[in-house]
Amino acid sequence: MMDRDHTSYREEIGAYLLGALTDDEREAFERHMEDCVECRAEIEQLRPAADALPRSVEQVEPPAGLKTALMEVVEREAREAVAGEGEQTWAAPPARSRPPLRERLRLPSLRPAFALGALLLGLVAGFAVAQLGGDDDGGRTVVATVDQERIPQGTGNLKVEGDGQDGAILRVNGMPDLRGREVYQAWVQRDGMIIPQPTFEVGPDGSGAVAVPEDLSDAQAVLVTREQRGGATAPSEQPILSVPL
Amino acid sequence: MAKDIRDLADEEVMQLVQSGNPRAFELVYDRHGGAAFSLAYRMVGNRGAAEDIVQEAFLSIWRSRLRYDQARGSVRTWVLGIVHNRTIDSLRRSTVHDRRRETMEGVEERQEAPERTEVEVARREEARSIRDALLTLPDEQRKTIELAYFGGFSHSQIAELLEEPVGTIKGRMRLGLDKMRRQLSEGYAAGGFA
Repeated sequence: MMDRDHTSYREEIGAYLLGALTDDEREAFERHMEDCVECRAEIEQLRPAADALPRSVEQVEPPAGLKTALMEVVEREAREAVAGEGEQTWAAPPARSRPPLRERLRLPSLRPAFALGALLLGLVAGFAVAQLGGDDDGGRTVVATVDQERIPQGTGNLKVEGDGQDGAILRVNGMPDLRGREVYQAWVQRDGMIIPQPTFEVGPDGSGAVAVPEDLSDAQAVLVTREQRGGATAPSEQPILSVPL
Repeated sequence: MAKDIRDLADEEVMQLVQSGNPRAFELVYDRHGGAAFSLAYRMVGNRGAAEDIVQEAFLSIWRSRLRYDQARGSVRTWVLGIVHNRTIDSLRRSTVHDRRRETMEGVEERQEAPERTEVEVARREEARSIRDALLTLPDEQRKTIELAYFGGFSHSQIAELLEEPVGTIKGRMRLGLDKMRRQLSEGYAAGGFA
């Protein structure tokens, strides 16, 4: 039986590489391929021929308006992604200095790259952020970029506290409720390192929030991935959401 | 002195795109948009439809830029793969009667791009060599591959069109690709794709 299955899948290698399988057939083939060294090897052997096909096409000039229309959208989305940078969300600066976010949340100091601590904080922070609703003063808000292929309805923004030393609050909307074994996890990217932050969940309406306690003053980005419940020490996928800093 | 972005290799440009740099993305379009449009046009045979597909594909590339992984192939292969998948989706959404059998009928209107740079001249040479490799295949293998890749037909649709068993069609695809791979290897070995 096993041999027959393998043989029937092997016959489909050419169709797979040419995009001639239906979605269901392709998914079944890819599941088989995960465990089949022989099929994977043959695919890699034949792939250069399939990859060459689009390069065989006679070149025709694209319409000039195509680039213009495309870049209009791209420029707009790039501007929106950084729109909050340097922008005061609230008009007046705070009249008195505010205690750091950690103190307000009564959270202990967090060691970067210490996943377990971050993980435990996730539960506390998730609750504490809910208590912060309406505590609006100071900071800036940066709009998140969401991978719309994987999270089509997702949006988010990061409310950075002061100059970023006291962390930030990430709010998201339109995110799928993972429900099962997965949770969302925040990360801070700094100097080529990805530092784990708390995990969080979203409600049935797809909205949620999490405190990012890490010092963001010299960070490059805050990222979000989907991870197994319990959190991870390194991202297991490309970020689904990123906030450039 | 800062390096001009246009001097960067595709993979370096993609790193800038991943950080959200629209100028870097524009450069990716400048380098590969023509090939992307040519592929979509070859498949749908209609400039308006090809334009829509390429715009959608490049927006998807911009929005999912963090998914690019250079370990999985060149930027050009990645871009053309996305355009190919989008075009197949588009073809399969349309009804069979609306679909253009471009691979069988030929394209009516072509506006060939002028050869402007050495890179473009080299790419045209490469395209000719790949077409030559395709022409070395037995007719039934070549036609099956073209219907699948450029026509966007599934193996069972091709079996129906050509009135052949599905197993025969699958076999032609695999054997044809294998023969083409060997032809291309010989071409590269002979310096044919300079």
